Amino acid sequence: MTFGRLPIFVWTILVTSFLAVFALPSLTTAGGLLLLDRQVGTHFFNVAQGGSALLWQHLFWFFGHPEVYILILPAMGIISEIIPVFSRQPIFGYKAIVLSAIAIGILGFTVWAHHMFATGMPNATLAVFSADSFLIGVPTGIKIFSWLGTMWGGKLRFKTPMLFAVGFVALFLVGGLDGIHLAVIPVDWQVTDSYYVVAHIHYVLFGGAIFGLFGAMYYWFPKMTGRMMSEGLGKWNFWLMFIGMNLVFMPMHVLGLLGMPRRIYTYGDNLGWGIWNLVETIGAFILALGILLFVINFFVSLRRPATNEADPWDAFTLEWKTSSPPAAYNFAEIPTVRSLRPLWDEKHPDLADWRVGE
Amino acid sequence: MTGQAIVGRPNADGRGRTALALVVAAESVFFGTLILSVLFLRASQTGWPFSHPSLPQLVVPSVNTLILILSGVAAWGSERAIQAGRDRLLKLGLVLTLVLGLVFIAGQVFEFTRSGMHPSDQAFGGVFFALMGFHALHLLAGMVVLVINLARAGLGDYTPSRHETISLGAWFWYFVVAVWLVLFAALFLV
Repeated sequence: MTFGRLPIFVWTILVTSFLAVFALPSLTTAGGLLLLDRQVGTHFFNVAQGGSALLWQHLFWFFGHPEVYILILPAMGIISEIIPVFSRQPIFGYKAIVLSAIAIGILGFTVWAHHMFATGMPNATLAVFSADSFLIGVPTGIKIFSWLGTMWGGKLRFKTPMLFAVGFVALFLVGGLDGIHLAVIPVDWQVTDSYYVVAHIHYVLFGGAIFGLFGAMYYWFPKMTGRMMSEGLGKWNFWLMFIGMNLVFMPMHVLGLLGMPRRIYTYGDNLGWGIWNLVETIGAFILALGILLFVINFFVSLRRPATNEADPWDAFTLEWKTSSPPAAYNFAEIPTVRSLRPLWDEKHPDLADWRVGE
Repeated sequence: MTGQAIVGRPNADGRGRTALALVVAAESVFFGTLILSVLFLRASQTGWPFSHPSLPQLVVPSVNTLILILSGVAAWGSERAIQAGRDRLLKLGLVLTLVLGLVFIAGQVFEFTRSGMHPSDQAFGGVFFALMGFHALHLLAGMVVLVINLARAGLGDYTPSRHETISLGAWFWYFVVAVWLVLFAALFLV
């Protein structure tokens, strides 16, 4: 095994770990200073005594923006494992995906103030943070095209893990395009603190991160427990969540453009927001039903007789070589990894990836 | 026999070093954002006291800084001592590091009270309190490690080839000394 043959999920966890080490201390600083303000009587964030409320926002978002990449990068890694297996093809653009994950990790530290476009910062500052925010669309776009390239011309098998992975690509794309809109400063000024922003965060973090985690549950559940989850319930689970999530979060774009602010619990009858909020409420119930099916599927599947099948998906990576669930001391000797798909190589010696070009 | 195998490869896996490097990285961001917060507060208002302190005002902080640097030298000496297998010198170095560290913290408390400042004096009172306080907390954390190391040295746990926690304790101490130099510059010289 070399760094150049690590599964992409491992790469994204590595980048995520670096983000956690470098982003979270800023929250510690913010929390420490807030504690002193509240308990000792200092005035870091008290404008009346020479403090600055804006300082809180800077400290919070210097943590808060890398934090969203802490949430999304592992999910990107997960679907980079699932899509090749269910497309029967090697991942397209391995190096590009890995380098773009690293680029997202680094750029993630340079865009925090795009959460603060409406705070009256100087124009030069606005311009820099706007440009950086556009820039982060490039590595993200590279990933989307790599996933599409992996599926292109493959023999697609739409099992539940693959449904969630493809759902991720579609929904994350919507959220990514919203993100581009919000990086445009005049647009951001118009829709800041409105439901447009709420729509954006849910398309990237619910449609993205959460769909990735559901895909991971269905994909690795057999490895963890030795039992398959029900495909029938899984498909209902996916479609209810997919439809429900779009019914909840798509109308938020409209509401944001109609001027509905975030963080309100009620509003006037005459604002024209009622119908869209009704659609969202119906969507929320459908979404919840989908998640309930997952919980049922999870516990029912746990009670099924174990099949202990080592490799139910005909997968590519080493975890599927050992038993399900993996026994203690899983590999008697360290397996030799000669390509990105060591298990494929072993199952198909004549077609092994490392032979390509021989 | 497994125990012996582990003894046979001192510091070989380097996990302690990696962990310390991660601690130092995270702590650097913590102090970095603290200092940037101070500079941000300073830049956003006029009439910041101590922006150009006179030389007499700098005497106590400077002497105190010198004491902390000396404690760093003592920590370095303790690491060199065990490398040379000189057990008594190791203990002396650790005790000296601890004593000088305590003198420094006492000096910090003296300096803060002498200045007549209070944490709730506008934003700047809190700045001095927070920077000196968070730094002193890190010194105390380092001292906990040094005390444990001293106790283990008393039990004869260390050899010239196996003394990873002595090195790690010393390196963390160097880091905290270095942080103070930056804080000193941010508080008194900028």
